[in-house]
Amino acid sequence: MTADLLWSPFAEFAFMRRALLGGVALACSAAPLGVFLILRRMSLIGDAIAHGILPGAALAFWLFGLSLPALTLGGLTAGLGMAGAAAWVSRRTGLREDASLAALYPISLASGVLLLGLAGRKLDLLHLLFGSALAVDADTLSGMLATAAFSLLVLALIYRALALDSLDPLFLRSVSRIGPFAHAGFLTLVVLNLVIGFQAIGALMVVGLMMLPAAAARFWSRRLPVLLPLAALLGALCVWLGLLLSFYASLPSGPCIVLLAGAFYLISVVAGPVYGLLRSRASIQTV
Amino acid sequence: MIECRELQWGAGGRALTPPLNLKLAAGSLTAVIGSNGSGKSSLLRVLAGLDRPLAGHIRMSVARPGGVAYLPQQQQIDRQFPIRLLELVRGGFWGSRLGRSERQARLRQVLADWGLLDLQTQGLHALSGGELQRALLARMSLTDAQLLLLDEPEAALDDSGVDLLWQHLRRWQQQGRTLVLVSHNLDSLLEKRCNALRIARSGCVAAPINQLLDRDPLGRVA
Repeated sequence: MTADLLWSPFAEFAFMRRALLGGVALACSAAPLGVFLILRRMSLIGDAIAHGILPGAALAFWLFGLSLPALTLGGLTAGLGMAGAAAWVSRRTGLREDASLAALYPISLASGVLLLGLAGRKLDLLHLLFGSALAVDADTLSGMLATAAFSLLVLALIYRALALDSLDPLFLRSVSRIGPFAHAGFLTLVVLNLVIGFQAIGALMVVGLMMLPAAAARFWSRRLPVLLPLAALLGALCVWLGLLLSFYASLPSGPCIVLLAGAFYLISVVAGPVYGLLRSRASIQTV
Repeated sequence: MIECRELQWGAGGRALTPPLNLKLAAGSLTAVIGSNGSGKSSLLRVLAGLDRPLAGHIRMSVARPGGVAYLPQQQQIDRQFPIRLLELVRGGFWGSRLGRSERQARLRQVLADWGLLDLQTQGLHALSGGELQRALLARMSLTDAQLLLLDEPEAALDDSGVDLLWQHLRRWQQQGRTLVLVSHNLDSLLEKRCNALRIARSGCVAAPINQLLDRDPLGRVA
């Protein structure tokens, strides 16, 4: 009976199956990227880039309407452009990269809103930012699956370089030139996942799916090879349970998924064996 | 091995010393000494190819990167980074052409050399400062680099650790590798009778360490 409740919506409705498959694929590729964002002390950069893709998407919408390849290309160009501009400004001025991104993303967001206004046609900004997993069509699903596969493949290829570059960039730079390429490849994957994700569960919601399982996983393991699949698994679980919650309670799917991930995060903060509040520790008493 | 001509380096476009002219032969060991902020670590970074010099030229007979290995100051390592000591040390195999079984044997040997066999499965968070320093030195032992640049390699090491370090430094020298290290431990350098390069705003002087310190006893506060 319970098992039936957990699966029947997906057996019954194709749109639920598409949302599940796309969401799980996105969780599997985005959450491990989130782990690396945290380790590289770039946790807030996903959020900044999610805003940064808006003007590209808006311009694509203005010119081509709701076309998936155009929106993807536009978002990708704007996101990469912003990440590249932030890296360039940091390199030339010495200002930290997160500061440059924080300065550039309101500019991007404002230009995006302005472009949508100029377009004159109505595209729901709320849809672009918060999306709806239940509206994933066959084309979007193919895009999500291809992105997830590509993203995991590239991450596997750059894994060693990225890990060493995150831990000790100076040592890596002394023995190899691969560090900046690994960084650029990694940022490209982040933008790609955000762009493909914003069409499914929305630009801001996909940041939640990228960061929350990653942040939660940190409370359960101190081993990178465990953290990556654990974050992906947590993300996938949140997609599945979030879609069920959304189905049975008639709630919007994106917030359901992200709030469930948020609940997992809060449980981890309290009960996680690594940094959690309840882990045993000696107390120091002041007499 | 390395030749610096009219080399100037520094932060924010401001040169820290008058131009430096220096030749270091293969198999030499040079300790860079000087007071805080004199530019010792910055010089090492320039030699490692991590920063550009402000002026002058560096010629070296090894490729950068590839032929150079750099030991950073250990506070640059994030102790919460989720890997084990073994995985940190293994980073020294970057670019190595050794086969799998050879790597295993070599890794085991190096861990044993640095007294780290019992700690290999520990996470970085659980290591003491001295243990982490030995792990970073063990990683350097695995590289094939011909130019080794070490920023304060004695930091956090106990007496036996310092002995172990000097055994390795001498061994690397005998293998014909060129070593440049930044150190504040002048007593230890005097005892080892190595060559030194003293960096100061007034100028840089390269000489055997005992001569350098005789010439300027105040240099001992470096």
